[in-house]
Amino acid sequence: MAADGARCRVLLVDDEAPARALLREYLVAHTDIDVVGECANGFEAVKRIAESAPDLVFLDVQMPKLDGFEVLELLDPRPVVVFCTAYDEYALKAFEVHAVDYLLKPFGRERLAEALDRARARLAAPSSPSVPAPTAAAIAATARPQGQWLERVVIKDGPSVHVVSVDKLDYLEAQDDYVAIHTEGKAWLKHQTLAELADQLDPQRFVRVHRSYVVPVERIARLELYAKDSRVAILHDGRQLPVSRAGHARLKELM
Amino acid sequence: MHPLLANRTLLTIYLLTWVGLGFAMAAQLVLVFSLPFGVALVWAMPLSVAYGFVCLSAWWVARAQPLGDRPPVEAVTAVVSATLQASAFLAGPGTAYGALLARFGGFDLDRTVLLQGAVLWFAMGIPLYLVSAMVHYLFLALERSRNAERLALNNQVGARVAELRALRAQLDPHFLFNSLNSINSLIGSDPEGARRMCEGLGDFMRQTLRLGSRDQVTLSQEIALVDRYLAIEKVRFGERLQISRALEAPALDCVVPPLLLQPLVENAIKHGVAGRLEGGTIHLAARRLADRLLLEVENPVDADAAARPGEGVGLENVRRRLSATGAREARLDVTRTPESFRVTLSLPAVTLKEGGGDGR
Repeated sequence: MAADGARCRVLLVDDEAPARALLREYLVAHTDIDVVGECANGFEAVKRIAESAPDLVFLDVQMPKLDGFEVLELLDPRPVVVFCTAYDEYALKAFEVHAVDYLLKPFGRERLAEALDRARARLAAPSSPSVPAPTAAAIAATARPQGQWLERVVIKDGPSVHVVSVDKLDYLEAQDDYVAIHTEGKAWLKHQTLAELADQLDPQRFVRVHRSYVVPVERIARLELYAKDSRVAILHDGRQLPVSRAGHARLKELM
Repeated sequence: MHPLLANRTLLTIYLLTWVGLGFAMAAQLVLVFSLPFGVALVWAMPLSVAYGFVCLSAWWVARAQPLGDRPPVEAVTAVVSATLQASAFLAGPGTAYGALLARFGGFDLDRTVLLQGAVLWFAMGIPLYLVSAMVHYLFLALERSRNAERLALNNQVGARVAELRALRAQLDPHFLFNSLNSINSLIGSDPEGARRMCEGLGDFMRQTLRLGSRDQVTLSQEIALVDRYLAIEKVRFGERLQISRALEAPALDCVVPPLLLQPLVENAIKHGVAGRLEGGTIHLAARRLADRLLLEVENPVDADAAARPGEGVGLENVRRRLSATGAREARLDVTRTPESFRVTLSLPAVTLKEGGGDGR
């Protein structure tokens, strides 16, 4: 329950202009709502949310470059979110990532008003201790259709966002709470553990050769015995990565 | 293997028939040579049953020399030659068997009986084998016509299934939901535009149902449907969706299976333009090269977008449609680069007038 006079700052994210216009029109009737901006894609959304810290975001799911779930994955702290989409198959996932509501297009004024009530209630009573906020990994995992492996990794690097297709990954390296994502000669740091990220990758393609390294099988040129019971993997670009005993067993199973 | 050899019941009935014929042959021997019936039966029965098996060989003759494909002379020659061989087989071993019976069995069969018997065996073998050949030809002809019927039915079912699939894909509910949402938005800001869009949506659906129920439409009709579709999507995507057309007049008169291009254009938006920040231009091209009709749909794709499984389904539908319409020489090729996706269709160029005679 919002206190009298409490303002709610709202950002609209949808790649279709008519869809944004509709939200804007509906929202005019709600005097406590300030629309602070509109974004036409996920990149803009990540940037604008970081800059203007809106209380509430109306978020489309299917957008170019970054979809709605990937946008959420990159945000910290996360605003209150209402998903708006024509697809009903993401509804469950939306609630798993703690969206306050899920609007199915086309929707009317009353349905939007309901969503706003829920959002106001959530804003008035923030993070209830019994329901911990989902981790980035949980968000990423729910964003994927079931039985499908991660196709691209999204990384926030200061104000900019990088999208790396898993086809372009050279290897992944654990660095404390971060993963260094090596791709095309560069490395990006993503705030996630190697285990969390590795769990989302196709196990037929990506092997954890060592506690700290995950490599696409096709990048490995050969294995060399380095000492008794320890090996190194030589990648096609000449780089050498340590291979543990368990890693070697996993590799043998695949090859 | 002969189908009769695989079926025990039929084989038993067949052999019993030859046992019956064995009695008839024995009776013949009794009549001609005045042999005692027992002697005649011992001579005739094994030969009759053995000849039953020989007569099954007509099946391979009938299969190797079917009627209708080649000049009938060839089949007649083959049957006559097989008949003579089979009869010779009956006469030769038949006589030898008789001689054995005479020598070791103490049967009263002299030289004259054996020699005349050979002629008699030969004479009996000919009509029997000819009857067998006739039955086999009849049987194979029946089987062929039944197979042809089944094949035609299968093709028909395949075509209907492909049609239904295309129609269902056409009426993608998400397209409808998003369009309704756009209309909802326009009602507030541009009521006239909302009306136009309602009209456009209705037109598109009606045309889809109408064209979808036909066997073939002209390319210009199909393009008109695509234009209606694009007009609706243009409201949603605005400037991000651009179209360029290179449609040559001679190509527009050619006939195509209905709903052939529209799914490709829908894919080009869904998996191409919609996934790019800046949108992009969809290229539509159609031209006629001699007796071929060439169609092309090309769209830019986002370099980071991984290949989605959905692309395969839409293309698979178009492919199935092409094959179900019986245009056997039709081809669908996909050219994929990191920045673009192009589908090229090549099918026989048939205009409506030529099409009437061609029957395709």
